[in-house]
Amino acid sequence: MVEFKHIKELSSMAYSCSGIGDCRVAYRQFLNWYGVCPMVDHTPGFEPYYARGKIRAIKGLLEGKFEPNEEFARVMYQCTTCGACKAVCHVSGVESITWPTSQYLDHTRLFEALRADLVELGLGPMPRHRVILDWTRKEHNPYMEKHADKLKWAGGRELKSKGEVFFFIGCTGPYRIPNICQDVYDVASAAGVNLAVSPEEWCCGSVALRVGDRELTAKLAKHNLDVFKRAGAKTIVTHCAGCYRTLKKDYPELLGELPFEVLHVTEFLARLVEEGRLELVEGELTVTYHDPCHLGRHCGVYEEPRKLIESIPGVKLVEMRRNRDGALCCGAGGGVKSAFPELAVSIAKERLSHAKETGAQLLLSACPFCERNLSDAGAADPSLQMQVKDVVSLLNERLKK
Amino acid sequence: MDRVLRALEDAVGSEYVSDEEFILYTYSRGIDGALPERMPEYVVRPGSTEEVSRVVRIANRYKIPIVPRGGGCCLTGGSKPIEEGGIVMDLTRMNRILNIDFDAMTVTVECGITWAKLNTILFEKGYYTGTLGPGSGMSAVVGGGLSHHSVGGGGGAKYGTCSEHCVALEVVLPQGDIIQTGSNASIYVKEPFCRFGFGPDLLSIFLGDNGIFGIKTKATLEIFPRPEYHECKTFVLENPGEVNAAKIWLEWRKKGDLGIYDSQYLPPLTVIAYAGLLTEFPFIPAWKGIDKGIFWYTLEAYTEKELEEKVKIADEIVKKHGGEELGEKVEDGNIARWHYEMHGFWQNWHGLWNGIGPGSIPCTTEHHVPIHRVPDIFKAFEKWEEENRPLLEKAGAFSGVSTAILCGHTTVEVDSGLLVWDKPELRELNRKLWISQLQMVIKAGGMPYMTGEVYSQALVDTGAFSGPYFEFLRTLKNALDPNRILSPGKYRL
Repeated sequence: MVEFKHIKELSSMAYSCSGIGDCRVAYRQFLNWYGVCPMVDHTPGFEPYYARGKIRAIKGLLEGKFEPNEEFARVMYQCTTCGACKAVCHVSGVESITWPTSQYLDHTRLFEALRADLVELGLGPMPRHRVILDWTRKEHNPYMEKHADKLKWAGGRELKSKGEVFFFIGCTGPYRIPNICQDVYDVASAAGVNLAVSPEEWCCGSVALRVGDRELTAKLAKHNLDVFKRAGAKTIVTHCAGCYRTLKKDYPELLGELPFEVLHVTEFLARLVEEGRLELVEGELTVTYHDPCHLGRHCGVYEEPRKLIESIPGVKLVEMRRNRDGALCCGAGGGVKSAFPELAVSIAKERLSHAKETGAQLLLSACPFCERNLSDAGAADPSLQMQVKDVVSLLNERLKK
Repeated sequence: MDRVLRALEDAVGSEYVSDEEFILYTYSRGIDGALPERMPEYVVRPGSTEEVSRVVRIANRYKIPIVPRGGGCCLTGGSKPIEEGGIVMDLTRMNRILNIDFDAMTVTVECGITWAKLNTILFEKGYYTGTLGPGSGMSAVVGGGLSHHSVGGGGGAKYGTCSEHCVALEVVLPQGDIIQTGSNASIYVKEPFCRFGFGPDLLSIFLGDNGIFGIKTKATLEIFPRPEYHECKTFVLENPGEVNAAKIWLEWRKKGDLGIYDSQYLPPLTVIAYAGLLTEFPFIPAWKGIDKGIFWYTLEAYTEKELEEKVKIADEIVKKHGGEELGEKVEDGNIARWHYEMHGFWQNWHGLWNGIGPGSIPCTTEHHVPIHRVPDIFKAFEKWEEENRPLLEKAGAFSGVSTAILCGHTTVEVDSGLLVWDKPELRELNRKLWISQLQMVIKAGGMPYMTGEVYSQALVDTGAFSGPYFEFLRTLKNALDPNRILSPGKYRL
């Protein structure tokens, strides 16, 4: 019988799943739930495409009921690990009633453990992931780009590599949406904070971790920890929701307690705004905001991006029906964008349709990965096209120059 | 490629058919902790009535059984194969609202829509389906609810079971023909509005049928305006709570229509469990220290005055029979408010999942009894538990009535059963205990409604049906389904 070391460690979680199935499509107006799993309507939708079926399959593996094969792995990787299943699982919606399952079943953790087992069995990750991870081992980024080009975004900016506030730039920003890095840097500068940026920074390891390569994740994390220490960092700021989750939640599990605080740029800038350190110009604009899963559901950061948006004079925020912990994933996470690009865009189209319904002129997010996928969806379907931008980019446009 | 697979792919599209072992495995179990896993040979996800019909015709051609399945949350094994092989037909792709008719006050849906999705959309328009389906309504679908006479997900005290408000059904018969029933039986009726007419009520044989007579593809349900006013109250009830609860309910009913939307009684053991005294996880900390039962109601009214008067009458009766009111807020332990205002009704049973710790799961023996027989059924449980104490201890299982719910005219849904451990090595013992308790309930006069595999077979095995009645059921089944295609094994048919 095949060993499943990682899921075995979490078997009590798997057996906590009662199989009631709210993780498929729960609706509950009181909590803004209007659907759950992004996969159900964009795949063949059989049980293993959503959490209940995945967990039932995990129980089957533990009991030796079937042998995993390549198709099984393909289906297990068609999950953005967005955590919407966990957000609805036995969640009462009020603090004074707590159904016990919600306290000990972490779906995303379980699915990532399964992927780690699939990697060890040679069934995972997906072919495209292998190419990306090989490149990451070589050039420390998953975008098939040269490490030496990572700071090209800075242009003429004079970057310092040491300092208490360290800007972790990640990979999607510098290699695909460089203006985000510029905007973060410039807004912080305008508030009087000179961010430290290191050319030694490597990929945070999120991609490797989400697709099950724990060895590579550990290597990347250890390297970055050294970089942070050498820089004398007391605060790490990142604009990427995936990097944020990895640094904030996964690094402590891998490396122990961290000697610095980790902030998403929206948390960091919200503090500066509160201190009155940013002067912004007025201009009427209606926007809506997409909660990135790694920022929202995974780390509970819902209000800071909204506070930032609402701090801009003349900007009106209208919410999508599915927002905060009920938000539909953009479709990109968990390795889906790289391995199943059409699936990622298909989900993003649905999310764009939610944004369109609000009548907003602009769709904001706080994650370059979401921004990229939502923009790709708009390009794929002109009827859904909508300008997509990072919250910080809008903030930078509105700085009093 | 095998001929059946190719035919199924032609019928519904290759994307929506699977014979992959790991996919089949996930359809081999229900959500109980006891019934054996039975692997189907194929799973299909049709997207239209015509596709359902095509699959049924293929099944007849090749003599392969079909188990229709909705949300897959049947607690008695109704949505998985009873025998190895066959086709599981997952109907959740068919989940659209087709029409809301505000003049006929009906909604027509595809039967794979969940109760919660349907009612969320209706709430936004000021309406609801009255009874909101089962307590698993965020996952359970309309077709499954109608196949079980579901109740318990809200509104049962006022509107009865969900089946009572079905006025038309589209059904694919076991040989593949598509029929319209209820109002729609006549081609001249323009919109469905009433079930009864055109002679015998043939629609009814598909309600509560557990998918043995046909596959429901579309349903038309009555809708009702959601009243503007409501009250939600929770009480600690003096012992013996089940006797007092029955007295309250009967006295309410004899007053006439008090607008009671929901009412439940939770015995002391449930209250203690919910307060967290059985495990390290308190569900409702506000109930800590209560060693009696909890009784609650929600009441609806169309005017403030009506509300005031009805609440006064309802409260007087509760207090007369030993009810002591808790505070108004949910954090005071007023679970009624959570149920109604925070849409907790679709999580009615979530407290039971893992109720005695991670990995525990219910084997339900829920059933209906008339109000005045509630105390008797509680006694029957005590006796059964005494007789089965050694086996219960061996299984590490809890047994009893978790909740009693007022539903229908003078009916109470008694939510009884076992909380067992979901462990492969305990499944056989769990099953033995479960069947024993089901048979006890039937012999004590309980009326099961979610019959699925285990209850439907227990009804036959206990000889509950008289000979002529069972022969009538068998004759109907044979006439409609001569090839034994739909849900074989249920009712031992």
